[in-house]
Amino acid sequence: MTEEDVKAPGPEQQINQLFGYRAEVLKDKLFDLFTMPSYFPELETSQACMLVGGRGTGKTTVLRGLSYEGQYALRGRDQKGIATWPYYGFYYRVNTNRVTAFRGDELGQADWIVLFAHYLNLVMCDLALKFMEWFQLHEPAAQKLSERDCRKVAASLHLPDVTTSQGLSDCLEIQRIKFEAYINNVVDGPRPPLSMQSAPIDTLFEAMQGLPQFQGKNFFFLLDEYENFEPYQQRVVNTLIKHAGELYTFKVGVKELGIKHRGTLDEAQQLYSPADYSEINIAEKLKGESFKQFALTVCNERLSQITNDRDEIIRDFMVALPGLSEDDEAERLGIYTKVAAIKRELGRRVTPEQLAVLEEIPPLQTYLIYFWAKGSGHRIEVEFKDFLDNREEWETRYGNYKHALLYTLKRRKSGVRKYYAGWDVFTQLAGNNIRYILELAVQSLLLHLQRGALLSEPVSPEVQTEAAQAIGKKNLLQLEGFSVHGADLTKLLLGLGRIFETMAADTFGHRPEVTQFYLSDTTLQPEVKALLDSAVMHMALLRAPGNKLTASSDTREFDYMVHPIFSAFFVFSYRRKRKMALSAADLLGLVNNHRKTIKDILARTQREDSLPLPDQLQLFGTYYHGG
Amino acid sequence: MGAKDRPLLTDSYSKVDDFIPEGGSAYLSGTSVEQRSEHAQAWESRATDVEFVRVIEQNTTNFTVSLKGQDLRVSLRSESQLQNFLRNVDQSTLYIDITGLGHHVWAPLLRAALHVGKLVKAVYVEPSGYRFNPNPMEGDIFDLSVRIKGISPIPGFASLTESDEENVCFVPLLGFEGTRFAHIIEEVQPLNERVIPVIGVPGFLPQYPFHTYHGNQLPLTNTEAWRNVRFAIANCPFSLFYTLEDIAADFPQSLLKIAPIGTKPHGLGAVLYALARPKQVELIYDHPIRKEERTEGSARLLVYNVSTLPLSGVGK
Repeated sequence: MTEEDVKAPGPEQQINQLFGYRAEVLKDKLFDLFTMPSYFPELETSQACMLVGGRGTGKTTVLRGLSYEGQYALRGRDQKGIATWPYYGFYYRVNTNRVTAFRGDELGQADWIVLFAHYLNLVMCDLALKFMEWFQLHEPAAQKLSERDCRKVAASLHLPDVTTSQGLSDCLEIQRIKFEAYINNVVDGPRPPLSMQSAPIDTLFEAMQGLPQFQGKNFFFLLDEYENFEPYQQRVVNTLIKHAGELYTFKVGVKELGIKHRGTLDEAQQLYSPADYSEINIAEKLKGESFKQFALTVCNERLSQITNDRDEIIRDFMVALPGLSEDDEAERLGIYTKVAAIKRELGRRVTPEQLAVLEEIPPLQTYLIYFWAKGSGHRIEVEFKDFLDNREEWETRYGNYKHALLYTLKRRKSGVRKYYAGWDVFTQLAGNNIRYILELAVQSLLLHLQRGALLSEPVSPEVQTEAAQAIGKKNLLQLEGFSVHGADLTKLLLGLGRIFETMAADTFGHRPEVTQFYLSDTTLQPEVKALLDSAVMHMALLRAPGNKLTASSDTREFDYMVHPIFSAFFVFSYRRKRKMALSAADLLGLVNNHRKTIKDILARTQREDSLPLPDQLQLFGTYYHGG
Repeated sequence: MGAKDRPLLTDSYSKVDDFIPEGGSAYLSGTSVEQRSEHAQAWESRATDVEFVRVIEQNTTNFTVSLKGQDLRVSLRSESQLQNFLRNVDQSTLYIDITGLGHHVWAPLLRAALHVGKLVKAVYVEPSGYRFNPNPMEGDIFDLSVRIKGISPIPGFASLTESDEENVCFVPLLGFEGTRFAHIIEEVQPLNERVIPVIGVPGFLPQYPFHTYHGNQLPLTNTEAWRNVRFAIANCPFSLFYTLEDIAADFPQSLLKIAPIGTKPHGLGAVLYALARPKQVELIYDHPIRKEERTEGSARLLVYNVSTLPLSGVGK
């Protein structure tokens, strides 16, 4: 073994490094592994944009990709080409610990607005000046800001008379320190001289646009995590967005429902899409086949970079993660034992010729006859004869129930109760979330290697299922820390998860694959709305415009679904199918009085909360059923 | 220089009754929902020539203090109000009992006291036990919404310094509640290799460090920060101070983002460090709301001779 062999990272280590999914963690590798999403060109235009998406949908990656540092990396770190770029972006993540300094009952909101607007001026000018410094470093011959322009910017910020951009940067730093001291003693005053909202930024960008190297160029402020702004601060930023235009514009990353205020500082003016900005909803742009393709490109690109001298590596996740047909899965879930029992039962009641028909159909379809009899309360031979007489109708029924039947096969058994395997299934579990698909992919590969298998072999359905359960559990446990209200979200999810799990396992005589709910109330109290919004914002729930109103009194706008990433952990269907009504009281009950509420909701569907928990849910046994 | 070579400026008393504030001093304390913050009342009859100053109300942006028979409201974001109040405390030696005061109250008070030149001694009483489960299991749900108000600066310690993430070193001072750690990670989004947690070792009780690992298991594993853990004596702000110095030395030119979510003495150490190195430190705090009967009883009482520590940044 050579020294190089000893030093070369093993496959596990390479997978961990390559499949990191947080833009914040990937650092330089972020750009090496960057895959351009289809909506990227829309962000490169001069129009303001709001990039809306949940955690892990790739907002930060995209915004960083638009930044000048990102573009430099993406364009091969070619120093010569910098001056030819059509735009330059300045990335800024909204930091909660900064922006919450600008609140408190010591001052009224009008005062906080002017202070915060001044702070934004300092931040944005600083970002632009840092860019100028970077540009100058890479293009030493580029023209600098004139003394006159520097003086104008300094004047608008109440800085001393400075004549260079470096001088501006230095004075800005001192100004920031003084301003920090003032904010820390905001009651004492005297208030330092404040700049007018956007005035210094406009002055600076007018000067920059006047430089030959920047003529005709677009400048983007890339504001990430806009939801961290206080509501009044969003008004301040909205005002900037509304009035920005020729000099610079904004590309904003925000979680779904993270826009707390659409107003501006002028109460008569709101921020409208598409007049003031274009809204790019990632979930809308990347869904279905386009997400599947994008996810495959992202993951295969990472897979292609794994080096291993010993074995061939499967370089395509479609091959590495094989799926199962429903019939194959039924076989793994023990369908033959069940069918043998069904045949024995029927053998006593029908002719051998009739019984022989069952040899021509898949075992799962035979099981459907038993399933249907159990649900209808008829004897099995009655349903069997109906099957013989109405084959076409039963074919349709089989199509409708085939997937749902799988959840009932091992409902009281330990071990795998349902398989979650295959690239197609994984993309559905990910729910259009790129972080989730990366998590599923990496967890599958790592477990596969831990079981002693090779990357030249496909990952077994058992290991894929285990990986999907582990990722569901990980995200469930993490949910608690995501927000101040994380505990409520965890409880809501645990409640809904148990309900949908029980409904999936006990489908006898019920509609199959109920995986969504809608609110039956005509109005929602703020507490429930906040809970639902928070659940959507933090990816506990997915929501979609409701388009299948079942009664005229149903006025809610959205259907909600537990995010499919949790489906393997709870064991229910990841497919967006049928829906049930829940009330606001049900949702609050799942948070505040979960045991009774779970029981009550299940009772309304003629089910009992009596099925044993799946193995992986035993962790919450005390939560569900007491100590 | 190892921690053992540096002075630990602490007087330790095995129980509350063994200590009485020295004559000619003032004793500033507050009463929280916890039983162990009530000792100052018991001393009033025994101590001689000690001016007891009681914080009777603690709000988000101000506190009310009873001084010389009058109630005085002091804004936490006013160095002048804080200093005026402290100048009205006649004695030059000032005990600040941090046991019953929130970080958001004692931290600005401590800084102002050092600024006006008081000889400051911080006092802390350890609990004899925790009534809530100090050993949370995976699957326990912590109700953060009744435990924290959310991340915002400790009054007077807001930092507007922007720093590239490559130059940030995140130092969570861990307690039992991993959810608080997870929440702050979510907000700070540090680079994994730059998360340097500090665990209190030895703990108030021998088993506490294990509880700390257990409670923080998930975020420690997710960030792989378990590889980087440092240790500082749980009831010693000076031990923590020196540990922070060591971390800063290991990450030169880095901004330390310190999250004081562990023991109060560690919180004190973090604040002292922030006072000593104001340009290199940002405090990240989540403002917990203490549950009633969270702790029980009183164990050791510790007096920290804060003014003896050379704090170069104070007063500048």
